Amino acid sequence: MKKSRILLALLIVISVIAAGCTNNNTAKPSASKTPAETKAVQETPVATNAGTGSKEAPVLATLVGESKLPPLAERLPSASDIMVEDVVDELGQYGGDWTMSWTGPGDKWAVGMPTEEALFRFNKEGTAIEPNVAKSYEVNADSTVFTIHLREGMKWSDGMPFTADDVLFYWEHMLTKETFGKKIYDAYYSVDPVTGEKALAEVKKVNDYTFTVTHKYPSVQFLERVAIDNKWFFAPAHFQKTILPEFVGEAKTAEIAKDWGFEDPKAFLVDTGYYFWLHQKIPTLRAWVATTDPNSDQFIMERNPYYWKTDSEGHQLPYMDRIVVTKIQDPSQGLLGTLAGDYNLKSFEAKDFTVLKENEAKGNYRVLLWTQPSWTSAGVQLNQTTEDLKLRQLFQDIRFREALSVGVDRNEVTEIVTNGLAEPIQASVPEGVFGYQEGWAQQWAQFDPDRANKLLDEIGLTKRDKDGFRTFPDGSDLTLTDIESSTNADTFLELLKKYYEDLGLKFNVKVVESGAFNDMKYANQVPMNTEAISVTNVAFRPDALVPLRVITPWFGQYGLYSETGGKEGVKPEGDVAQILDLWNQLKASSSKEDISRLANEIYKIHMKNQWQIGYAGPTPVPVAVSNNMRNVPEKLVMADETRGIGQAHPAQFYLKQ
Amino acid sequence: MLRYTFKRILLAIPVVFFISFIVFYIIQLPPGDYVSTYAAQMAASGDNMTAAEMDQMREYLGLNGSVIEQYAVWIKKIALHGDFGFSFNYNKPVTEVIKQYMGLTLVVSLVTMVFHYVVAIPIGIYTAVKQYTAGDYIFSGISFIGMATPNFLLAIILMFLSYKWFGDPLLGLFSSEYVNAAWSMDKVMDMLKHMIIPVIVIGVAGTADLIRVMRGQMLDEMNKPNVVTARAKGLSTMKILFKYPTRAALNPIVSTFGWSLSSIFTGSTITAIVLNLPIQGPVMYNALLGQDMYLAGTWLLFMALLTVLGTLISDILLAWLDPKIRTEFRGS
Repeated sequence: MKKSRILLALLIVISVIAAGCTNNNTAKPSASKTPAETKAVQETPVATNAGTGSKEAPVLATLVGESKLPPLAERLPSASDIMVEDVVDELGQYGGDWTMSWTGPGDKWAVGMPTEEALFRFNKEGTAIEPNVAKSYEVNADSTVFTIHLREGMKWSDGMPFTADDVLFYWEHMLTKETFGKKIYDAYYSVDPVTGEKALAEVKKVNDYTFTVTHKYPSVQFLERVAIDNKWFFAPAHFQKTILPEFVGEAKTAEIAKDWGFEDPKAFLVDTGYYFWLHQKIPTLRAWVATTDPNSDQFIMERNPYYWKTDSEGHQLPYMDRIVVTKIQDPSQGLLGTLAGDYNLKSFEAKDFTVLKENEAKGNYRVLLWTQPSWTSAGVQLNQTTEDLKLRQLFQDIRFREALSVGVDRNEVTEIVTNGLAEPIQASVPEGVFGYQEGWAQQWAQFDPDRANKLLDEIGLTKRDKDGFRTFPDGSDLTLTDIESSTNADTFLELLKKYYEDLGLKFNVKVVESGAFNDMKYANQVPMNTEAISVTNVAFRPDALVPLRVITPWFGQYGLYSETGGKEGVKPEGDVAQILDLWNQLKASSSKEDISRLANEIYKIHMKNQWQIGYAGPTPVPVAVSNNMRNVPEKLVMADETRGIGQAHPAQFYLKQ
Repeated sequence: MLRYTFKRILLAIPVVFFISFIVFYIIQLPPGDYVSTYAAQMAASGDNMTAAEMDQMREYLGLNGSVIEQYAVWIKKIALHGDFGFSFNYNKPVTEVIKQYMGLTLVVSLVTMVFHYVVAIPIGIYTAVKQYTAGDYIFSGISFIGMATPNFLLAIILMFLSYKWFGDPLLGLFSSEYVNAAWSMDKVMDMLKHMIIPVIVIGVAGTADLIRVMRGQMLDEMNKPNVVTARAKGLSTMKILFKYPTRAALNPIVSTFGWSLSSIFTGSTITAIVLNLPIQGPVMYNALLGQDMYLAGTWLLFMALLTVLGTLISDILLAWLDPKIRTEFRGS
């Protein structure tokens, strides 16, 4: 008995050792061998030259050969309605993967934006819209009736025809019924210029490939605003009919939701109606469609055989076969992966620029510097409605803002925080972006601590506490608290603390988790924050500059006031009230000139008030592109409104062999 | 002994429930809930939610009730239907999420564990037998460094070296072409290659610990009268070593064996995040961070269960290994 037990123990020890040894033995040689193998696999050409005659990707040609797919001509829209996408440099070759990383399905826009197909998209400069899914449009003289033409013979990724019915279906059964958790977008309302009353547009089908949107009052910017608010003004009716409660009944929808793994039918409808591109079962118009579960460690999108764009020679796009998205835990792994050549096109933050540049040759990529319409890369917004009334009064005092602005040395900030990539200027609209004002960048930008101290004394902050910090005139403690949801701005805030404390202002930074930050924003507990205003044109998207909702730190509860129709929040006064007034006029105006003028007025008020104080100009966005990836533009404005990398038209990117 | 085991199991049930409540309560303590995290995530990508939309979402996710109400609903579902709830982050039932990561977690943990017992026990014995020799100092030195260096730092260093020398930081468990591929010899080889860093990193810290424990125990045991007697009777050194002191020295190691049960199922967390390993640790971490509370709650409940179970297993193993303890059981 005893012996057998010892024998057993020994046996276990031996087998454990043996197992350990074999593990180590097999692991070691592979370490030296497999890197080479991996490389080889990555570099294996997957494609044939597009120029050899075939107008479609070899993968698809094979499927057609096996009669699993209709021939190309039947998949594309009718000849005159095919959209020809201009290539950036040269006609491409088929094949290869666009590899990138994301943090999982929560990061849905990482693949959502580059693959987006809007009804109307912005032109290269981001100044006007151009038809995309739509073929063309006509507008009547007073901008009330918009006639939009679709492409004949265009198909969803499952081969079903895409027609005006899909637009009407989306409008009637999804958008106006609010099935996917979004209110009817503001773009669909026109405003009575006299009373300010809002009227919902009417959408009518003319024929299979034409529909009209009719506004009660002129809506000059309708198409631009749809291009931002509601890019996909359509949905696959044939699919949605099989899941919407209106068609199959609540019970059935709940059952389908369960089938798809959703607990709650509402969450299910949000995901299928709004974030549809993540689901393999939902047909789309995109160049690539989902083929795996987005929750897996690698999310793969494959080419859409029915994609409706070709290059100028008639080769069906996209050139690249797949988008392969690897899940990462931390953004630095995206960087590391790029250095190792795992990801072939990815945008980064300015702080990663040096590392990227250093390893350019080793990682076999090139770094492009794209720009962004951001006002600053190191700045603070002062919440004009902050909870503490004394602090609020101080923040609303323009002298205080000037003092904070001139009390910091911008040269040092740009050198330390942005590696000298940004200019030492005030937060302002960058040149070339709509709303640019002469002299704004230099406003209060000169480092002048004497003036700052003089201004602070003038305001009445002359008393000091025992540590030498300024107090309110009544002797109560004055602390500026900056709330952050990440540690990204640490270096900058450390510098800022030094400069503010030199002025005698106590400055604290508090970092909270992003969800909590969001809650604090709604509860008006964020006095200061480093979020930067970034907007291509206030007329297209007012959120950052006009207090319509709780979003941007500087206007705090003014936004809540507008959002709740005056029931909650703080009533805007003075210049802020004027901004809202200008915005209402802008929405009701009937000519583009008026809109430009009014929008410009809004910018001027911002320039005058400088609610966001900037200590460095915007930084460029470094984009690492592998050397064999071509047709990626050298210059581009990266903005949410124009869908980031999507603006570069990824369908025409290709991998050169 | 059977009765003892049975009693222990009965006692474990209320303990697990109690822990589950505490855990559920603590998860809810930080300000905000899943909806605020979700809204923040959406806002970061330019997709803002209004307060009304957030309230609506709270309502349909059932996040409006008090903690006790939410706990009651959750635990009732578990008890009655075996339904552990739903992960908001994944849009999947919690059990599905846990299942998805379990396989690889077990592989990584078990290989690591084997690594660290296989390395630590012989080294522990060696350093005790050859006390104060160069070998002892070298191994002790390494083990102290291993113990004192944070795992993730070691991970970063190894990743850097791997990138420097091989041009590949070996992130994750698979090269990208194998992630979704079916299992094949190549895929296994690829995984083994990627497991070198995690196994070394996760293994070394535990190894250091074990070496010290083993060495200390051995030193204690080697001068015991039974060993001296055996030596006086002329038994071979190796035989004495393995028959007496080693066996006794294994006691503390065996008694902590059960504790590692829960770590086998979670895998490590910080190291896994640094190395981008698709195992439970990071999933859990994100669930806690994002207040994905059913996932976090289920997971912690599971951990509590494993810890209780682990302790039980340790006790039983100990009784099996050590006659002295066995006698105590019989006595009771």
